[in-house]
Amino acid sequence: MIKVLFFGPVAARIGSNQMMVAFRPGIRLQDVRDELAAQYPQAFEIVCFAAANGEHVRDMSLPLTDNSEVAFMAKFSGG
Amino acid sequence: MKESVRIQQEDFSQDEEIRALQASSKRMGGIATFLGCARDFSEGREVSEISFDAYGSMALSELKKLRNDAIEKYSLLDARIVHRIGTVKGGDNIVFIAAGAEHRVAALEACRWMIDELKQRVPIWQKEITPQGEAWVTPHP
Repeated sequence: MIKVLFFGPVAARIGSNQMMVAFRPGIRLQDVRDELAAQYPQAFEIVCFAAANGEHVRDMSLPLTDNSEVAFMAKFSGG
Repeated sequence: MKESVRIQQEDFSQDEEIRALQASSKRMGGIATFLGCARDFSEGREVSEISFDAYGSMALSELKKLRNDAIEKYSLLDARIVHRIGTVKGGDNIVFIAAGAEHRVAALEACRWMIDELKQRVPIWQKEITPQGEAWVTPHP
């Protein structure tokens, strides 16, 4: 399984901080994003950044391994 | 001694952080600091509280990278970053950054660079709680 985390404004729009997506060989970060964006379009319209296993990811074609932790995040507003 | 990079609910002491920075090297000729505080007014509305959400493990790791990058980029002798999460009220401290270098220019430039980078790189979000309701903050340039 792939653990997907949401925070702040994205979590508020989804109504959840976390969900699981089934792992399949060859699945890429973009596939997870596409799958969830279709279900939660209002949340994903503010998603600007993605992370995999706690690291920023710019290349959405990143292949995921089983038990990966990914996050789709809105613009940050700390500080 | 407290860690030089922290995310915490409780308030921090600027004096304590500066003392810790100063104690790290006697070659330090300049220390620059930035203190970010909660405003009780934003976008024409009264703000009663600000609540923070964070991707805790990633935020801490990004803050540590940010400190290391600043030390390397500006040849700092040391740097400290503390960011609060949880809920704060108007006037409360939010973030403290301190940069120590042999000379003032490096310290001042590094301090400015760290807060600007923090806003771009560190997964923390703030929500303003007003008498009219709550709203997640849209970042300012």
